[in-house]
Amino acid sequence: MATVPIREIAPPPVLTQHLLLSVVEQMKLPLMSIARRAEFGGLPGGHTDLSEIRVTADAAVQLLDNYILGVQLASQEASLMQTEPVAISSVLHNAGQRLQPIAKSYGVELDMHIDGKYGPVMAHRRGLEAAIVSLGYALVEALPAQDAPQLKLHLSAHRCRYGIVAGIYCDTEQITTDALRVGRQLYGRARQPVINVSHTSGAGIFVADAILHAMQSQLTTSRYRRLYGLGAVLPLNPQLQLV
Amino acid sequence: MIHVLLVEPDLLLARNYYDALKTVGYVVTAVPSAQAAILAADEAKPDMVIMELQLVGHSGIEFLYEFRSYADWQSVPLIIHTHVPPSEFAGARELLMKELGTHTYLYKPHTSLRKLLSAVHDAVPVE
Repeated sequence: MATVPIREIAPPPVLTQHLLLSVVEQMKLPLMSIARRAEFGGLPGGHTDLSEIRVTADAAVQLLDNYILGVQLASQEASLMQTEPVAISSVLHNAGQRLQPIAKSYGVELDMHIDGKYGPVMAHRRGLEAAIVSLGYALVEALPAQDAPQLKLHLSAHRCRYGIVAGIYCDTEQITTDALRVGRQLYGRARQPVINVSHTSGAGIFVADAILHAMQSQLTTSRYRRLYGLGAVLPLNPQLQLV
Repeated sequence: MIHVLLVEPDLLLARNYYDALKTVGYVVTAVPSAQAAILAADEAKPDMVIMELQLVGHSGIEFLYEFRSYADWQSVPLIIHTHVPPSEFAGARELLMKELGTHTYLYKPHTSLRKLLSAVHDAVPVE
């Protein structure tokens, strides 16, 4: 009997039901928020803030889109994935723009340290941007729940041993390698896989993890200027550095 | 004036519940975490507590044990308003309702504002 290589049997992580469960569980939050806000408008003395409803719905749709992109990237052959030279500063800038409305809703300030000093890297542009936005969404939601003294997120890039880390940082110590490792083991099984970081299923973190995994990149915890964060590890391409 | 302590980690949801409770005449203190809830209750004893069980860093049950361990807060009516479906507490219902003195258990995704306000009014009517 012929042996079947394990790689053909095991589905890539993004296609597991666990990620879907995590996303579905996460979706309840914005939907509830929209439903309750709409209902408040019907109560005596109540009013409905339509702009807040729109922002909440838009952010939820973005997370769904990012999940779909992750599934699509994971189900493609690696050779079909179109990587291109990508300026990290541009990706961080776009991600920041996309996160701005929901961050404002949660009272979180976004700070961008983008100066373009790292040059381009080879990456899947949409995938990288979607991963950063997903991480940002998770942290925007988590920061006020942590009762953090400073509601501020920093989008930034810095060099590490393996290349460049592009990610999102904050002033809370809860984002640790252990928290991410345990979270990866528990997501889809536990209600709060990263309990020290988020009160939710943390779907944004795991969607980013799945997208980056599909892109042959990696989600990592990272420290930068006394801040703690999550980011994508992007290998440096020596040829592009000459550009 | 009835003082409600609302323990809700999600800022947008907290804002909705805060607004609704305030509109019908309750004085509301909204906090996102267990630690902030203990500090807030210490500062001004609440007449009732509404709380989520899924909190950052703590299980809401841990918070409940701590909260009920203070003599002053043992009789404060408490509503659990949570994402955790009641079926997950099927075996521990006795613990929640009797030992920890829970007045009502509401599954948040199925609880409208009207239902929440009605449960709060049932526990502590507005004067």
